[in-house]
Amino acid sequence: MTNSFEEDVFEFGPDLNPNNEIERIEINLLVEGIFSAYGFDFRNYLRSSLRRRIYHRMNLESLPTITSLLDRILHDPLMLERLLNDFSIKVTEMFRDPSFFHSIRKEVIPLLRDYPEIRIWHAGCASGEEAYSMAILLLEEGLLSKSKIYATDMNENIIHIAKQGKFSLKRMQSFTKNYLQSGGIKEFSSYYTTDEEFALFHPFIKENIMFAQHNLATDRSFNEFHVILCRNVLIYFDSELQNRVHNLFFESLAPHGFLALGNMESLITDHKPDYADFNAPERLFRKIKD
Amino acid sequence: MRNIKLNIRWKIMIGYFLIICCLAVSIIVVNNRISSLQTEIETITTRDIEVQNLITTIRYNAISMETSQRGFVITGNESYLDPYIKGKSEWLANYNTLYQYISDDPSVKRDLEEIKVNIETWIDTAGEPSIALRKANKTQEIIEFFNADKGKQDIDKLRVQFESMRQKEIQSTKNHIIQLENKNDILIISLYVMLIIVSVIAFMIISFVSGSITKTIKQVVKTISDIASSEGDLTTRIHVKTNDEIKELAEATNNLLDNINGQNWIQKKVAEVATMNQGINDIDTLAEAFLSKLAPTLNATYGLFYISRGTGDKQRLDKIFSYAGYGENEAISSFRIGEGLIGQAARENRTFLLNSTPENPIQITSGMGNFPPHSILIVPIEFEKKVVAVIEFASVEPFNSQHLKLLEQIQGHFGVAINNVAGRMEVERLLSESQVLTEELQTQTEELQTQSEELQMQQEEMRMTTEHLEEQNLFAEQKTKELEKAKEELETYSEQLRKSSQYKTNFLANMSHELRTPLNSILILSQLLAENENKTLNVEEEGYANVIHTSGNDLLTLIDDILDLSKIEAGKVLLTIDEVNVSEIPEHMQLNFNKIAENKGLAFHVNIAEDVPIVLYTDGQRLQQILKNLLSNAFKFTETGSVALNIKHADPNSVKKYVPAQLNTEVLAISVTDTGIGIPKNKQQLIFEAFQQVDGETNRLYGGTGLGLSICNEFARLLGGSIIVDSEPNKGSTFTLFIPNLPNAEKEQLIASQYEVAAAVPSEDMKQEEMTHSAATRKSSEFEISLFKGKKVLLVEDDSRNVYSLVKALEHKQFDVTVASNGKECLEIVEQQSDFDLVLMDIMMPIMDGYETMRALRLDSSEMKNTPIIALTAKAMKSDREKCLEAGASDYISKPLNMDQLFSLMRVWLTKQVGN
Repeated sequence: MTNSFEEDVFEFGPDLNPNNEIERIEINLLVEGIFSAYGFDFRNYLRSSLRRRIYHRMNLESLPTITSLLDRILHDPLMLERLLNDFSIKVTEMFRDPSFFHSIRKEVIPLLRDYPEIRIWHAGCASGEEAYSMAILLLEEGLLSKSKIYATDMNENIIHIAKQGKFSLKRMQSFTKNYLQSGGIKEFSSYYTTDEEFALFHPFIKENIMFAQHNLATDRSFNEFHVILCRNVLIYFDSELQNRVHNLFFESLAPHGFLALGNMESLITDHKPDYADFNAPERLFRKIKD
Repeated sequence: MRNIKLNIRWKIMIGYFLIICCLAVSIIVVNNRISSLQTEIETITTRDIEVQNLITTIRYNAISMETSQRGFVITGNESYLDPYIKGKSEWLANYNTLYQYISDDPSVKRDLEEIKVNIETWIDTAGEPSIALRKANKTQEIIEFFNADKGKQDIDKLRVQFESMRQKEIQSTKNHIIQLENKNDILIISLYVMLIIVSVIAFMIISFVSGSITKTIKQVVKTISDIASSEGDLTTRIHVKTNDEIKELAEATNNLLDNINGQNWIQKKVAEVATMNQGINDIDTLAEAFLSKLAPTLNATYGLFYISRGTGDKQRLDKIFSYAGYGENEAISSFRIGEGLIGQAARENRTFLLNSTPENPIQITSGMGNFPPHSILIVPIEFEKKVVAVIEFASVEPFNSQHLKLLEQIQGHFGVAINNVAGRMEVERLLSESQVLTEELQTQTEELQTQSEELQMQQEEMRMTTEHLEEQNLFAEQKTKELEKAKEELETYSEQLRKSSQYKTNFLANMSHELRTPLNSILILSQLLAENENKTLNVEEEGYANVIHTSGNDLLTLIDDILDLSKIEAGKVLLTIDEVNVSEIPEHMQLNFNKIAENKGLAFHVNIAEDVPIVLYTDGQRLQQILKNLLSNAFKFTETGSVALNIKHADPNSVKKYVPAQLNTEVLAISVTDTGIGIPKNKQQLIFEAFQQVDGETNRLYGGTGLGLSICNEFARLLGGSIIVDSEPNKGSTFTLFIPNLPNAEKEQLIASQYEVAAAVPSEDMKQEEMTHSAATRKSSEFEISLFKGKKVLLVEDDSRNVYSLVKALEHKQFDVTVASNGKECLEIVEQQSDFDLVLMDIMMPIMDGYETMRALRLDSSEMKNTPIIALTAKAMKSDREKCLEAGASDYISKPLNMDQLFSLMRVWLTKQVGN
């Protein structure tokens, strides 16, 4: 299977020959350049995705070549910031995939209930919607006080946003629907107040959420967790990086801990035999080996 | 015994032989006894009978002699004498015979001797003499003789003797018979004894023989059944100590077991190899597992695995695993078909077995070094007649036939395994590829979503920048912040305070208006008087009338100022954005102020830069008002020097600093510079606030209400600009008005309030509403009100107290509330009017409850199927909530209502969503 299929069918960016060797070199130079100059490591990100994001930025900046973008990036940190924002895909929702959160509530939580402390890691939390969702879920299950939710993302700006715990009113209706579908037992409106643009979640919800900058591509494990959620993050990584991250997760999971992936993802890794399907349709896996 | 082959046949024969011998012995013994018995019987019978006969004969002889003697004697006939002579000759012989017979019995013998004596006596005394007498015819003497009867006594005596002897003999015979019977009994008994003995012996022999046979058979059977019950463990062998057919059977069975074991071993290995692919998903692992398993089985010390790759000319055999290989160049890593033995084996699908190859380059590496193998075995693995792999084994021992048989069987099975694994690898590969595609799809979906969000954000930005250009200046932003603060503060104030503030403003507005009406009449009438056309007034009176008119004008200006300010505060300012000819401004201002300048002896300069656009889109009236105000202030506070009006493009830095909202718009900077008294730095901000002047002194010196600048400031803000002041006491002041060009603003009458300008209008709809509604808004929670204002809410609730309080609260937020007291009424209302923005739905209601109503509203035919419905549930149970959601509620809130929560909720459900 070559790239041509995917390019032909899915590509919506500039119509360039995907086998263009020059382009490949340019992209490599760009990511190497970013890594050498700023330390951000995108070298193991999926090329197809990077390519689209790069062209997106080039379009906006009216730049003719990737090399010219590299030139701008090397001499203008602001441009880097913009590109970093492009690279970090921030698609997330509260209670995204309600059935997943329903399964967490009904199947996973009962198994964690008796733990003296519950540690949960949202790897690649973006603006934190899922971490807040998890906090609300734990609150309703009476477990928030003994839980620690670690929400990390490689993008420091977005971590800063996540810390604020405010989400645009324009998305709140679907969040409410998700909450209700995921088996929420209180009133969603009791968790927030509003101003003209945002719904501001009550501070007590985020009391047990630790937001931190963490790069899955370069950083190491920092604790042992009972649940690790990394949904629709690994799809942007190539298999080498995916394996690295899976190693990291495996090391960071407590015995019998849970690993949650996005609903289109699968556990293609050397660690596959170390996990048992816990809820296969929701991509919930449980660690069975040490 | 051990070395003699004593088989079962012999055992049985010997047994039977022994039994027959016993029988024979016993028969001989019995027979002997019977024959001795027989002889005894015979002896008894013949002797006794003989004895009897002889006794009788002798008696007969004796009697016949007497008879004959008597006959002769009587008759003298010689013929009568014959029996006598015969008897006389016979009896002694008979006697002797008898004597022989009875010689063993002394008493009988004595009797017989007496008889002999008697007979002899008779013959001597009676017989012979009588006969002789007769012969001599001595009749007398005979008679005498008979008279003497000498012989008769002997005969009688003989008769008795014979009788007793016969009796004795009978008795003896009887005894003999009894003896015989006894003997017979003994014989019978001995016969039984014999039978028992023979039986015992026979039984012993039989049990020994059968025992010796069944024991081994049982042993064999037990071993066999042990083997049978040991579930496939065929290692046990039958051991037989005897040297008979059973041993042969055991040996045959052992051979069979050996054979089966060998077969099993092969089958097991074959099965292991055939099932080896289970759980193995790649060929390399399979090859490794295969060689690692097979090499020890075959006692091979070295193994290589070549897999066939490619097709046609490019088909090659690549080494993917070596067992016990060492070093880099331990084996050739690839062969073409037909190349070397490996390639040849693949081409011909043929097994090669090479023994003792001294020239073989392959060295088997052990810890002690390298040594050459004894045998090399090259086996092709096929699947569907196609060679899929070739394996090579080397061993220091020769391969035996079982090894070869095993490999022969494995060839096919392992081919299937390889094919399975290859198939699985292909499936795995396809699966992971499809997964990669799925993930790619997800990435693209998310990217698309991000892009669409970005696009939406960009659109939003565009809209903001284009549609609200005039609103987005620095002032407005500052104001927004202030207003937000004020909003929060004021939200804490009581209803009354806000109302009184409203009353004040209204009062002021009304009051100013009411004042103008009478003032108008005064002005008109005083002017009429001052004109004095009828010359009815003298000069002095004319002067009075002029004073009245001038004072009236001043008063009017003052009232207008108050009115403007109150209008601004009440949000009732009417802006008319239209083309303004900039080049006309200087002329207009000169017209207005030249005279004053002349009067005060001041120079009045008006400069207009050349690049200034001719046409400016703004509210011309307000602009003039501002400029006039600034100029009149300048003239008012300047005693000497000059006043200058400069019109030019604002430089970008100033725009950025003072009107950042208009960064992308053309902004004019119109400044009024004087050489008057100036304003101290600390008072500069104060002068823009209503009713403020620099100080009381100034007030007294220069008069005026102090409203002018604050009005100017408000207007400038309304027009999207701002006024700044730069002044130094006693040197002069420069007031600069930044005013943006608003070509895209509504050409029609734009009704704006400063608060609305400040408000971030979230959607097109609301903006429309902001424009069409001119009702006054309060400073507090102006956003909320701008979002809520005029939104049509349908409240379905039966409890009149709840209705009352809710309607109050909602109307306070400027909602347009319609009330239905039950579901039925709600549906009736909806039939008439369905453009509600939101429905608040109580659940427990008479006639038709909330669930039913919601279901009716959510019907496909309903015009309100997409309108948000908020269910008001009383102390809701979870099930009630679920029922609400099923019935079609968008969200729920439980009673008693927390109003802040309700309004938050309503904000969420009234905000237009992204992506929808």
